[in-house]
Amino acid sequence: MQPISDPSLPGRHGAEPRLRSRTFTSMGTVVSLAVPSAPGTASPSVVEALEAATAVVEQLFNRLDQTFSLYRPGSEASAMARGELTLTDASADMRRLYVEASEWRTLTEGAFTAERPDGVVDLAGVVKAHAIREAGTSLPALGLEDWCLNAGGDVLVGGSPTPGSPRPWLAGIVDPEDRTALLTAFPVGSAGKHALATSGTGERGHHIWTAGLQREPDEGFRQVSVAASDIVTADVLATAIMAGGAATLTLATARWDVDVLAVKNDGGLLATPGFRNRAGQNS
Amino acid sequence: MRLRAGISAALASGAILLAAWQAGTHVAESNASAVTTSAPRTTGGTGTGSTAPGTTGGTSTGSTAGGATAKAGGTYTGTAVQTRFGTVQVQVTIKAGVITDVTALHLTDQEQRSVQISARAAPLLRSEVLSAQSANVQTIGGATFTSEAYLTSLQAALDAAHF
Repeated sequence: MQPISDPSLPGRHGAEPRLRSRTFTSMGTVVSLAVPSAPGTASPSVVEALEAATAVVEQLFNRLDQTFSLYRPGSEASAMARGELTLTDASADMRRLYVEASEWRTLTEGAFTAERPDGVVDLAGVVKAHAIREAGTSLPALGLEDWCLNAGGDVLVGGSPTPGSPRPWLAGIVDPEDRTALLTAFPVGSAGKHALATSGTGERGHHIWTAGLQREPDEGFRQVSVAASDIVTADVLATAIMAGGAATLTLATARWDVDVLAVKNDGGLLATPGFRNRAGQNS
Repeated sequence: MRLRAGISAALASGAILLAAWQAGTHVAESNASAVTTSAPRTTGGTGTGSTAPGTTGGTSTGSTAGGATAKAGGTYTGTAVQTRFGTVQVQVTIKAGVITDVTALHLTDQEQRSVQISARAAPLLRSEVLSAQSANVQTIGGATFTSEAYLTSLQAALDAAHF
């Protein structure tokens, strides 16, 4: 497979895939669902299926947000933060996700944590990824084979933008130094890595609890992208590497089958081979 | 190639070999917990290249014969051991009965895990990553944008184009 971005090779893949997408707002960000609309297929039915699927995903996101959002005074998470509800009395969803977050804390040796410095349980870091994961289970059940779900810059895909082909979805990765430009692209869905999550200090400020792990601020990361087979792993590890720095990056690449692109505070890049441009290779 | 402590595969295998050499008498503290790790078809370590005077650099096969050799000190090369991480061979330096260094001599990439060991993140120039323009990609990955920031984002432009 040739580099898709090479403008001198416009015809190698045939036409650029035609996509249709729909969006909705949830969890403080915008979620997009895109599906291919190949020439020759009846466009109205593609749009109908897309809109029906988007409605299902929106409902799923909103239901989780109503439980887990600390911005909603009436949510279960807010009741817990106020001390009105203990974890043992919380819903099964809440307990399950808390257990999962706790396991990730152990696996990342403390770099990822679901507790704020003030002790309040904040599962916001896991909830969005969990919602994407749930959506990824629902979409095939709705009959969609080829789809790309993007929730605030975290990506999970199924199939291909060119139905029936092995061509992966190509996700551009924003340059943290110029958010209108792309740093690079990653073929999501190739080599079994269907998920791509990015964590950074760019848009929401320092929302990551560093757990005191990062001792050298100059050596820290400004943005970390992780590609993995599932979105929760990708998202947790991106957050953990942001918080834990180079030590957690080494841990992550040794322990999980992931590809990582880290942008250092000084602008330098660290990357696993999957992010290397191997011209002429199927990357 | 020097291994850092993070590469558990080599350490686990090293510990298995050490257990053979040292007959369980003096296992380095950092490896103690790994001794219990069981690797499939573990063979006993073969000590070669002993440099300490008065030792024979003998072969230890199993958990009974290696104690005397190891206590003297020297550098020992283990046999290649099949682990679930692939083939691992380690070199261990022992001084006065204490392990002072563990080095990986051989790691294969036949299995996924070993690939990961060699798939560490390395410094990269921007010209070495795949160049991309928003016109060539189907979606945009980035740190979580707010609903407001979305309006001016590349993803919004893509979504608008695909509406």
